Amino acid sequence: MSRHEPFAFEIPAAASVDSQVAYRRSSLWRDAFDRLVANRLAVVGMIIILLLFFTAIVGPYITPYDFLSQDLTARNQPPSAAHWLGTDDLGRDVLSRVIYGARTATIVAFSVTGVSLIIGIALGSVAGYVGGKVDSLIIWLTDFVMSIPSLLLAVVINLSLKTPLTYWMDDMYLATHNPLFRQTIWVDFALVFGALALVQWPSYARLIRGQILTIRNRNYVLAARALGLPRRRILVRYVIPNALGPIVVAVSAGLGQAMVLESAFSFLGVGVRPPIPSWGNMISDGLRVWRHYSHLLAAPAAVLGIVTVAFSFLGDGLNDALNPRQWKE
Amino acid sequence: MTVLLDVRNLETRFKVRKGYVYAVNGVSFQLQAGETLGVVGESGCGKTVTMLSLLRLLPPAARIENGRALFEGQDLLQINRRQLRKVRGAQIGMIFQDPMTSLNPVVNIGLQMSEPLVYHRGMNMPQALQRSAELLEMAGIPDGQARLRDYPYQLSGGMRQRVMIAMALACQPKILIADEPTTALDVTIQAQIVELVKELRDELGAAIVWITHDLGVIAGLAERVMVMYAGFVVEEAAVDDLYDDPRHPYTVALLNSLPSVSETKGHRLASIGGSPPDLSARPHFCPFLPRCRYAIDKCQTENPPLRPAPGVDAPRHRIACWVDVQERGQT
Repeated sequence: MSRHEPFAFEIPAAASVDSQVAYRRSSLWRDAFDRLVANRLAVVGMIIILLLFFTAIVGPYITPYDFLSQDLTARNQPPSAAHWLGTDDLGRDVLSRVIYGARTATIVAFSVTGVSLIIGIALGSVAGYVGGKVDSLIIWLTDFVMSIPSLLLAVVINLSLKTPLTYWMDDMYLATHNPLFRQTIWVDFALVFGALALVQWPSYARLIRGQILTIRNRNYVLAARALGLPRRRILVRYVIPNALGPIVVAVSAGLGQAMVLESAFSFLGVGVRPPIPSWGNMISDGLRVWRHYSHLLAAPAAVLGIVTVAFSFLGDGLNDALNPRQWKE
Repeated sequence: MTVLLDVRNLETRFKVRKGYVYAVNGVSFQLQAGETLGVVGESGCGKTVTMLSLLRLLPPAARIENGRALFEGQDLLQINRRQLRKVRGAQIGMIFQDPMTSLNPVVNIGLQMSEPLVYHRGMNMPQALQRSAELLEMAGIPDGQARLRDYPYQLSGGMRQRVMIAMALACQPKILIADEPTTALDVTIQAQIVELVKELRDELGAAIVWITHDLGVIAGLAERVMVMYAGFVVEEAAVDDLYDDPRHPYTVALLNSLPSVSETKGHRLASIGGSPPDLSARPHFCPFLPRCRYAIDKCQTENPPLRPAPGVDAPRHRIACWVDVQERGQT
């Protein structure tokens, strides 16, 4: 049994003096939160990400222009009071499109991470609990899936499934005029990012399996069993809370990664297709004309960069805050 | 005196990559109500596995192959999980070697201590917390009410072991199994914990099984001692009989290797040469043979059963040895 218990550290003198002066209910989660807040970069990252989520939810209702409305008399305009980030080659407001892009990125990030987390939790905990042959099988499966390059998978799905399906939907719409077949954007989301989720889950599955394997051999779980507590109580009170830290960190990193992948896919034309704005396809469009209208490239690229860095700051901060073993004074 | 726990011919083995490890090989013992039984032996001789087998807390690789463990008319090795959970914690409490890792790090002391009270005693949360505070103070932790909100990492090793003891005794079990509870603690804290357990035993009248590899610790605590080696009980006697008149060569060697205050300085501490045997097969000879100074031919062909020690008055002094150590020792 390892003696390097994650939480077996000394409280620093300053903290214990504090708790004597003003008795405050301290908990490990609160301590972790305190350490997170004490980390300036993490706070900056957190604020940017909260802003991003806020924008994703309410953004499209507060944009100055509709993200689709074209104004052919005002094409490729540089930033001005009327268009803070200028307009693109069809006279669409870039700010409105960047804001809508936040929604696209957030939807993709949450759905990809959510789906892969659900698959990961299910398979990972089965592997960890059942063990034996089932465990070997699931581990083999994760190895297999991890060896698939996600970009290649997206291209293949794009060609083999998405394009025919989109044509079929167009035909169906022309034939039936059923509004169900009108919007093909959901095909983009479901297929491409479904595929993304299918290749992202193995890392979660392995993480959760590892957590369960270590925690169920911990002495405190044995002690809880010796107290006669039922299995469900042990799971809820002992296993899950102790497993949560690394999973929170992984999810935060996974959200950022999914956003970047969405942009990369859209940039290459296999993700979200125009006219629905995505930072990726905006960068792709802007890249063609960047010598003349550099704001068309700069705006979405800067936003993507800032968000990526913010996720990385928050992930690092969470990792330090929830993992006191690495906690240095 | 009534027999509280009657263990008969307990056998436990572990499945490993190549075959099995025979960890417990036919252990039988009885525990009287209110009695303190010491279990001694070096690491890997089956002390802990025996006790874990009784509560069926073994790791998945281990299996109980044979035996009975009668506790209040029910066989602990046969009852279903639901019944077993009613025994664990409520009737038989257990404390472990390493208090640093035996408490859940993310739940505070109060919630952790309340769990068994709520589950076994059907208390509501305020009652359970109230009782937990009392238990903490009983276990020698001042201001129990305030400590309920503390997290394990805020307590020292000795304090944590006190919490573990308070928790194990929360439902007033009839038996407390203590698996080397003082090994991870320094000597002064060790003495305090032993004192605490003594006090609580006298107060609550629980029977205690105290596992240790330190004969010194149980001298002042146990009434009866069981010496284990390679998964066998090799000697069992009242504590005074064992110390005054050890009969098994292993016990003799263990007692010889105790440091003594009266001994002259510069004297090298005696040790037992070699190490415990490989248990990948059940030995058909005496398992102590390779390390035994007194071995005779018979030791190589037959494993001695546990039987009353020859030439001893004490009725319950039993050994598993073909040789009369006292006699051979003089020649």
